[in-house]
Amino acid sequence: MTEMKENTCCTPTTIIQLPKIWVNESICTGCGLCAEVCPFGLPQMRKNGKYGISDVNSCTECSACQRNCPVAAITLSEQKGCGCLWDARYRIKNNNKSCCG
Amino acid sequence: MAVTYMKRLEEEPDTYDEKFTNLTKGINLEVFEWILGNLDDDDSSILEVGCGTGKLSANIAHSSKRNVIAIDQNIEMINHAMKEYPTEIEGTLLYQLGSFKDLPVNENSQDMIISTFMISELRPLEQQIFLRNAWQVLKPGGKLIIAAEFVPMSIWRLGFKIKRWRFKKKLRRLKIKSTKLVKYFLDYIEPIGFNIIKKREWKHGSIQVLELVKNHKISSKPGYYKPLQKKYMGISSQLRIYRCTLTGQVDRVPIQPGIYQSGNPNRSSPVLVTANYDFTYIKLMRDLRRIDAWILVLDTDGINVWCAARGDDFGNNQLIEAVEATGIQNYVDHKTLILPQLSAGGISIPKLPKQFPFKIKYGPVWSKYLPNYIDEKPSKKPDYMKLAKFNLYHRIRAGTTHTTFLLRKIFIYPLLLAFIGLISSLYWTNKLTWLVYFLSWIIISNGIIAILFPLSNFTRKFILKGTFFGILNLILLGAITMLFHQSILFTILNLPFIYWVSFFSTMSFSGYTMATAPREIQGEYPTFKKIDKILMIIAIICTIIGILIY
Repeated sequence: MTEMKENTCCTPTTIIQLPKIWVNESICTGCGLCAEVCPFGLPQMRKNGKYGISDVNSCTECSACQRNCPVAAITLSEQKGCGCLWDARYRIKNNNKSCCG
Repeated sequence: MAVTYMKRLEEEPDTYDEKFTNLTKGINLEVFEWILGNLDDDDSSILEVGCGTGKLSANIAHSSKRNVIAIDQNIEMINHAMKEYPTEIEGTLLYQLGSFKDLPVNENSQDMIISTFMISELRPLEQQIFLRNAWQVLKPGGKLIIAAEFVPMSIWRLGFKIKRWRFKKKLRRLKIKSTKLVKYFLDYIEPIGFNIIKKREWKHGSIQVLELVKNHKISSKPGYYKPLQKKYMGISSQLRIYRCTLTGQVDRVPIQPGIYQSGNPNRSSPVLVTANYDFTYIKLMRDLRRIDAWILVLDTDGINVWCAARGDDFGNNQLIEAVEATGIQNYVDHKTLILPQLSAGGISIPKLPKQFPFKIKYGPVWSKYLPNYIDEKPSKKPDYMKLAKFNLYHRIRAGTTHTTFLLRKIFIYPLLLAFIGLISSLYWTNKLTWLVYFLSWIIISNGIIAILFPLSNFTRKFILKGTFFGILNLILLGAITMLFHQSILFTILNLPFIYWVSFFSTMSFSGYTMATAPREIQGEYPTFKKIDKILMIIAIICTIIGILIY
């Protein structure tokens, strides 16, 4: 996930691209609350009793799992908004304020 | 009317008083005089909540020896007041930052609490919390004076609504939230434990001052307000459902937040939490089929659970506020709230305060599974209870809402304009059939998008989905046009409009599908906008040529 980019003039910059959501297995207690709240069934229990996100691309960043995880094991780069065109339009026009509340 | 605009004035404390007086045409000064004239000599400890520039408190404190504390949430206002009004006087005059949520005085300590033009800034449950908090800090028999803007009686209502609408529009342009309509405030007064003893009205009741007295004989604690039960069966509620289906995404249709009940709940019945969108309420109550349960309706501003959770309208704040204002913990012996699963995107269990009196469980994703959920109490929900499937029925309903939304927000004005244009140019009335075409293209193409939406699941990119449905509708609707008109040129001139409407509608439908991420749609928006503009221009040109020829 780390890629090096040679900058033309000076020092090379490192661009770290994180997956949009991931579960830190060393913290996860396997309580399964994330699987209870995800409307798409993405958090799945692994063989070691911990949870992982099965299909990262299907995640809609609703943040339900991340904000309810009792041990804060889930990292999500959440983007505010409700996934609707009009909300996107409004946010781009009004510096990230919400239109539908 | 005028008070709606208050928020704009609050940005500049120096000119606030003068401009506010202009707005109310001097009535605010009459209100102040009325309050000063009604003070008794033995009202020695007075608290003003929402003191603004501090003028009223200064006048009261300077009129005779009293102890006045004035609070406001706005630090600018407090600074202004402290600069403007000297506090070296006979009694005490203290300005400080504070809120109605946590009054900075002891219980049973105040002779009088004054609040002018503040409650219209509070949400319904906040108004109830304010009344309860005021009750607690007032001495027995202490008085609460409330001045506010109310909705006037009978025919004056219309003028009031029009003025308010104009101010609201202006505020929206300035991107300032307007104040709220004080609708049910009078209903809260008695259940919470006050009696109205004096009242003065200005301008047909659009501005009123109420003098309330704390009624301490019934209980040693303030009471709670509970809204009347709202119907969810029968023709009228079915009409309310249709209203929501046809105006969704544009209109918020709030019901009063508070405690409702399904069946005959008792102290061990479950407590279900939901949003105060009328549609949500009716659906939930119907799905429960009279199972005994308490329903705690939060104030989500008339927005459904999913959208409210994603937009900060169904979160910890609303939940804590509703529990505090309704006293739901006094209704049951257990300590569990069942929340809709889709509210988890707004609620955060770990961030609830330690003293929060309930444990939270997330119920099923759709309310129709609530009876099973309550019955089985699963520790882990089975898949059918927790996976959001966007099935054909949902898509048809969403498609209907979305089509009416597009018609109302985008197409109604051009269509009306074209209608008037064609009607007034007497020669062209035969071209009115074009309007029927437009309407049909919009409705049919949106129907096809809603019904066949899963066909576009090969991609998550909405621009691609839009292109897909654009082409699909070109073929389908093009064929239909050819069948009816048998003219290739006519069909070709119609195609750009069909393509544009389909492309645009697919993009706009994204919000209904539940499966879009804000990042994706926001990322696609700039490209979409460019393509959309080009398509629209081509569509308009071709349509005009079409109208001229045929």
